[in-house]
Amino acid sequence: MKLAVALLGFLLATPAWADCPLDLGRGTGWVIYSDHYLLAFRPDPLRIEVGEPFALVLNVCTKSGEPAELLAVDANMPEHRHGMNYRPDIVAKGDGRFRAEGMLFHMPGRWEITFDVRAGEESERLTHDIILK
Amino acid sequence: MIRFPLLLLSLLGLWAGGVFAQQLLDWTPEEIRTVEKHGPWPPSPVRDPSNKVSGTPAGILLGEHLFNDPRLSGDGRVSCATCHQAGREWSDGLARARGTVELDRRTPSLWNIGYLHWFGWDGAGDSLWAQSIRPLLDPREMNGGPARAAELLRGDAALACGYEKAFGSAPGTDDERLLVDTAKALAAFEATLVSPRTPFDDFRDALVAGNREGASRYPLAAQRGLKLFIGDANCNLCHLGPRFTSGEFGDIGIPFFVRPGEVDPGRLGGLGRLAASPFNLLGKYNDDATGNNTRRTRHVQRQHTNFGEFRVPGLRQVGRSGPYMHNGSLATLEDVVRHYSEVSPDRLHSDGIPLVRPLGLTAEQSADLVAFLRSLDAEPLARPRPAPLCP
Repeated sequence: MKLAVALLGFLLATPAWADCPLDLGRGTGWVIYSDHYLLAFRPDPLRIEVGEPFALVLNVCTKSGEPAELLAVDANMPEHRHGMNYRPDIVAKGDGRFRAEGMLFHMPGRWEITFDVRAGEESERLTHDIILK
Repeated sequence: MIRFPLLLLSLLGLWAGGVFAQQLLDWTPEEIRTVEKHGPWPPSPVRDPSNKVSGTPAGILLGEHLFNDPRLSGDGRVSCATCHQAGREWSDGLARARGTVELDRRTPSLWNIGYLHWFGWDGAGDSLWAQSIRPLLDPREMNGGPARAAELLRGDAALACGYEKAFGSAPGTDDERLLVDTAKALAAFEATLVSPRTPFDDFRDALVAGNREGASRYPLAAQRGLKLFIGDANCNLCHLGPRFTSGEFGDIGIPFFVRPGEVDPGRLGGLGRLAASPFNLLGKYNDDATGNNTRRTRHVQRQHTNFGEFRVPGLRQVGRSGPYMHNGSLATLEDVVRHYSEVSPDRLHSDGIPLVRPLGLTAEQSADLVAFLRSLDAEPLARPRPAPLCP
């Protein structure tokens, strides 16, 4: 709850991000941000199962309000230094909305998802950890 | 006269004093949740949307007849059942399969094969029916040739009748289509091969239900082995879920030389063959118009780390289905456990926390792990002969 309040305050303090559509269709998943980018995403289906393909539904926004592009999504297990056996494709849906299709986590444990985003000449990598049991 | 009541009282006393409880190790809530994920068993019947006769009685019956028919082979002497024998856990008990020649890999068991997503030790097949085509054609296995199945379906009245019942029309003139349909019927049958419930399943269900008395019937050695399996040994990172497999691929340090100067590249070669196959799920023979079942095939990537990787086998019936590993190089379950206990980290080339590392098991731990693995075995029901195709 504290986190949600803090995030809401953070968003309201940054006008361009307050307009960022965080509605991902079936409830909100995770929100991550940096100095320049705000990214909201959720899996489809909502529950990620070991060994089962899933997609990520994403919204990408910038602090400046400039349109952002999602260049790549990938995932790896830092402890074991291996990635996925599958390479997702990204489909742009317009208005900063994207779908990354073809994800699959083949093992339980900590997966680090990486998102390469770009707005104009500025590109950046955002990350988010998921513990899969 | 007095002995019997005394004995009875003693037994009652033992029961009330918790003999059963003493047979059950302490299981943490986290461990119970982990054990729960290895069930329930049996799973719901599976249906493959890429195969229109999958799950249909007529398709399954035709498949069982074809499975046992040596006329599908070039010399008329080898059927699918020659290597996949019901009495040998749908394998052959040999270290290396024998078709027209001795092969470099072991015959994999067909138990629970319908629940996989990749087929063959190298995953060159993305459907069970596509995988079933390979041995029919391979000169080293059945050597049937591309027209053999079609000639048989058209020329044998009973098979032609069974085909019409399964596919809705008499066998046509398109040999390749009939080859694919033969494989789809074979796959429909093979997907019905579900291994029986085991002592582990009874334990798992009792533990999850909080039934201490039921759970305590599971031998202590198997309990200790299971704790190792899901704990320090981390076996369940790859041998996960009700079938005890991720269905993916791994390099566990088995030598990949098949003879001097020649290697088995495993998954790396399998992915090459998958991409080149006209029978993969991206081709015209996929019966699923939605394309939903093509996601793995579309997105799988071929990486140099795939070299020397082989499919993680399921562990149900494992104690009854040796020899072990893709090349049959380990004769017994004890050998398998010793391999994981002593595997050389240098061979595995891991630069992170290795998934496979020498476990350094004691003799008791090794015996416990084997006891657990053997608790995944059970005697299958005898199979009745298949009904006639067209009585």
